[in-house]
Amino acid sequence: MEGGAIKSILVVDDEAVMRDFLFDVLEDFSVEKASNGDEAIAKMKEKEFDLIITDMKMPRVSGEEVVRFARETYPHSKIIVISGYSSLSSVGSALGYGICAFLSKPFTIKQLRSEVEKSLSQGGGAADSGRKNG
Amino acid sequence: MNPLNLLRKFALREKFVMVVSIVIVTSMLVISGYLIKRQNEIYHQELAKRGEAMVANLAYNAEYGLILESGEELTDLIKGVAMADDIIYVIITAADGRVLAETGMNLGQNSKLISVAGSDDKMFHPKTRQTLFRSENGMEFIEMSHPVETQKHDISKENLGAVAGHPETQGSSVLETIGEVKIGLTLDNLHREITKSQTAAILLTLMVVLSAIIIMTAFVRVIIRPIESLVEVTDQISKGDLSKTVDVVWKDEIGHLAESFNRMIESLKQSQEEIEEYNRTLEQKIIERTRELEDAQSQLVQSEKMAAIGQLAAGVAHELNNPLGGILGYSQFALEKIESKEIHEFTPKDIESYKRYLRDIENQSRRCKAIVQNLLKFSRTTQTLELQEIDINQVLDETLSFLDHQLMMNQISLKKLYDKTIPRTKGNPGQLQQVFTNIVINAMHASKPGSDIAISTRFLPPLGEFGGAIEVSIADKGIGISDANQKKIFEPFFTTKEVGKGTGLGLSVSYGIVKDHGGEIKVKSRPGEGTVFTIILPLEKRLNSAEITTSRQGV
Repeated sequence: MEGGAIKSILVVDDEAVMRDFLFDVLEDFSVEKASNGDEAIAKMKEKEFDLIITDMKMPRVSGEEVVRFARETYPHSKIIVISGYSSLSSVGSALGYGICAFLSKPFTIKQLRSEVEKSLSQGGGAADSGRKNG
Repeated sequence: MNPLNLLRKFALREKFVMVVSIVIVTSMLVISGYLIKRQNEIYHQELAKRGEAMVANLAYNAEYGLILESGEELTDLIKGVAMADDIIYVIITAADGRVLAETGMNLGQNSKLISVAGSDDKMFHPKTRQTLFRSENGMEFIEMSHPVETQKHDISKENLGAVAGHPETQGSSVLETIGEVKIGLTLDNLHREITKSQTAAILLTLMVVLSAIIIMTAFVRVIIRPIESLVEVTDQISKGDLSKTVDVVWKDEIGHLAESFNRMIESLKQSQEEIEEYNRTLEQKIIERTRELEDAQSQLVQSEKMAAIGQLAAGVAHELNNPLGGILGYSQFALEKIESKEIHEFTPKDIESYKRYLRDIENQSRRCKAIVQNLLKFSRTTQTLELQEIDINQVLDETLSFLDHQLMMNQISLKKLYDKTIPRTKGNPGQLQQVFTNIVINAMHASKPGSDIAISTRFLPPLGEFGGAIEVSIADKGIGISDANQKKIFEPFFTTKEVGKGTGLGLSVSYGIVKDHGGEIKVKSRPGEGTVFTIILPLEKRLNSAEITTSRQGV
């Protein structure tokens, strides 16, 4: 990955407000939005993202599948999971794929920025599955 | 006809008398018959013995008369004998058959011979002959005959010394028949006696039968009276009258029967009273039980509510966390933006952005409010209802406009099949929106992308007591609902969605709202083919004024 280039982020959430908010806050990055799992996977097929921020509970194609696809296709992409549930159990099997962080809604801008920065500054992707943040 | 069948027709009393009479008459006849026969035989024997004695005696005494052939002497001899009652005639004949002496009527010559009883064992004398005759005029008589014998002495061989001592044992003397004595003995006396006996027997039989009938009748009355009274009381009981009892007169089997019958009546009475008592209290008991059941049910619902609170809390938290995420994020972000510049540095574009953030915050706050209100709506046990004139088609359109975006995202199209002529009705538009939203969202979740949901309305005109209604159908072509689940979908907290996606209250609340409108909500579904929800809202929902007042105060 090139250090100087603007990092690309894919935001996946069925909640429009959350998508817009992430888009607005992460103004320093190249952010693309997807309103569901299908759309996310379609976008990932087009290009590789440095970071994928995805909701877990979405109709039909869930966040788990987005995580699985991302991990299988792009082992170096970083993944942050956001969820309306405060419990980590809602992340389910996605934990096994190695995610960088877990943010439970509602989270502060500070938390978000901190996790995004930490994730993007990490070297490896799939190898590091240890970081979780409530 | 079988005589037994004939017997069945008679009453107990008649049967009893009849049977006993037959037994008495038969036994009397048998006994009398036997006695008369015996009497006949004895009389006959006596007569025969007498006759035999007489004829033997006459034959002995007639010896000299016959030797002399003296008719006078013989006539004198028989005159005394002929005096006797039974003697009809006495004849003495010589050995050649000439009649030497005769008295009475000789019926023997013209009469018919019936039997000849010779010298049988019953006779004293072996030479007596007995013959039974019937005369022309029908009179029966016995003729006794005895030969008259004399001894002829063979002088040449005579031992004089032995003659006087043992004349008959002397081998040298021979008995010679010199004549015969016949006596006719009438059987009229015998027949008269027999007739008398027969009459007496018949009279006696009649008397016995008569007295037996009298005694029997009295006895049968004593026995049968309690049975008849038993029968009467049984009749009464069978007609439902339990007031009578059987009189217990005797301490015998019938008395026991009457006693146990009375006990039976008593327990019947008790049972009847119990049944009546049950009937009286049944309604009261049903009311009590129903109340208990309702209490139990509401307790169950209450405890289910409590048990579901955890699950509900998770769902509500998730529902709230999403808008709260936007609110927290955008408010922090807006604040950050505003603090980063001096007021005069704000560009119109900045202002536009801030406005958008604030609008999002506002919208998300409203969402939170709605969630909380829904939660409150559910937690309120008494629901309130404010009715106003509404156009169902319009309420549907407003509802669907909120859902358009979601439907579009799920690639579900809507088919609106409204009946534009349906009349306006009374309803609570907000609550009905909630119902329609619930059902459409469920339909959307059940449908595959690319399929459609058909929403139709129609007017059900008044008919009889039914005052008319508006029917709303929402049909999808989704996965459907199993029969087992169809029964449960209106129950609170029933959900097939994964944890957090549904509280299981949507349809239960919808059911309550439609019921509040006096309407009905029904489901028809076939797994794999789709589901149709039908809501029927009556045009007239009668609310009493108290309910309306409460509902106004409640809102």
